[in-house]
Amino acid sequence: MKFSLFAMFALLLAPAITTMDAQAHGPTRQKVTVTKEIAAPPAEVWAKIGNFQDMSWHPAVHSSTGEGDNAIDATRVLTLGEAGGPTISEILYKFSDEKMSYSYRITDVNVEVLPVTNYSSHLTVKPGADGGSLVEWRGAFYRGYPNNDPPEHLNDEAAVKAVTGVYEAGLNALHASFTGN
Amino acid sequence: MRFTPVLQATDLLVATLLFCFPASSVALAGTYAFVTNQNSSDVSVLDLESQTEIRRIPVPGKPAGVAVSPVHGSFYTVSPDSKTVHRFSLKTCEEIAHALLPGGPTGITVAHGLGKVFVSDWYNARVFVLDATTLSHVADLATGSAPAGVVVSPNEGWFASADRDADQVSIFDLPSMDLRHRVTVGTRPFGIAIGPDERLHVANVGTHDISVVDPDTGTVVATVPVGKRPYGVGFAQGLAFSTDQYADTVTVYSLESLSPLNEIDVGEYPEGIEATPDGSLVVSTNWFSNTVSLINPATQTVVGEIETGDGPRAFGRFLYSAPEGLEPCRDR
Repeated sequence: MKFSLFAMFALLLAPAITTMDAQAHGPTRQKVTVTKEIAAPPAEVWAKIGNFQDMSWHPAVHSSTGEGDNAIDATRVLTLGEAGGPTISEILYKFSDEKMSYSYRITDVNVEVLPVTNYSSHLTVKPGADGGSLVEWRGAFYRGYPNNDPPEHLNDEAAVKAVTGVYEAGLNALHASFTGN
Repeated sequence: MRFTPVLQATDLLVATLLFCFPASSVALAGTYAFVTNQNSSDVSVLDLESQTEIRRIPVPGKPAGVAVSPVHGSFYTVSPDSKTVHRFSLKTCEEIAHALLPGGPTGITVAHGLGKVFVSDWYNARVFVLDATTLSHVADLATGSAPAGVVVSPNEGWFASADRDADQVSIFDLPSMDLRHRVTVGTRPFGIAIGPDERLHVANVGTHDISVVDPDTGTVVATVPVGKRPYGVGFAQGLAFSTDQYADTVTVYSLESLSPLNEIDVGEYPEGIEATPDGSLVVSTNWFSNTVSLINPATQTVVGEIETGDGPRAFGRFLYSAPEGLEPCRDR
């Protein structure tokens, strides 16, 4: 499990094919929503994933360092796979224990690691069936290639596929952690 | 470079009626929204009175930009993925013409009387000027980098573009199309609108504020702080309403004091916004939620919600108040 996830992220840190303006973006914003039923009360699930400074529940994340706890504008740097692996820098822009939801965006990532730009995301725990939880992870982003006529590995489809993979891997692991698998 | 206008039919009934009966004297049957759904590649036609979707029109190529022109009996959409501008009949909602453009066509606006359509080219720092009837290419205007939102003044004396990566607005005289001003605004201006104060209200995505620009002097007269990542601005009852993408709010600010008054919770990722011509309702589209929120500007509360296709953007002027007896999409 862990190995294949790292491979998914890695796509190896090939040199960026061109210098890109981090602000520019493609013409069509993409969205991904992945949900998962978890057989545990929302409060228990939120206790596990509702800390912006702790992504240890995601199998692709090796470590997380950050500042500001769960305050607005708190930051974190996720290291993927292993010590010295590729990193993703993120900032928190909404957080609510009451709504069991937080929202963050990526401030820095190499598009060869995650082929997206202008990425924002919400992670929310809602009441599910039979006293369980429904965890919802949503992302909005543009493709990795900001200019016209993108190469295949940086087009809209590649961006959606990569983000969907990250969300599914995280929620599948979360599901497994509550069922003891 | 390839420009491919295709004229399929003419549709002048609505235009003729509106020329003969100015808007103020025409009994309005209702107001409709033409919402471009970028992710599902279609347009939702919404009846704001009954709060229902009356028609879903397939539009290939991920449409975002939209402009309604009652004078030309048309609404126009821009699909950046297929690089195509489409012109549809308001009466039948059938396509009348389309044009393939080079580069990255994005925003669109209409000079109704001049018979011109302006389309920003996101990738090539220019605006295409097209004939509003045939969509044939007339001219190019040189803007700053990444032009997005575009507007024509109500008297058609000038045109402006928000040049996102140049942090500026370009203003051109009409009908001469001569450059009048380049105005530095906030960071990454995207949406742009003209208020009843005849000033430009420019939504700066990067600095989370609205630059209010005097188009005559080419100066910023005020900067209004709003919610995170503002996208569009609408106007009603002496107030302005900005959609704040990251805050999931609409910020209300006073056109008199140019200071914020209130924030209204709407759906996720609010984008295109416009008030009905009588100012009784403000319609904001929620890109992530696949809905529009209907806001009563007097009470500053959400009074209704209508479902749309996937990824509604409505980037432009997307509302249409129909003369009585001329409901859109019905005459087929």
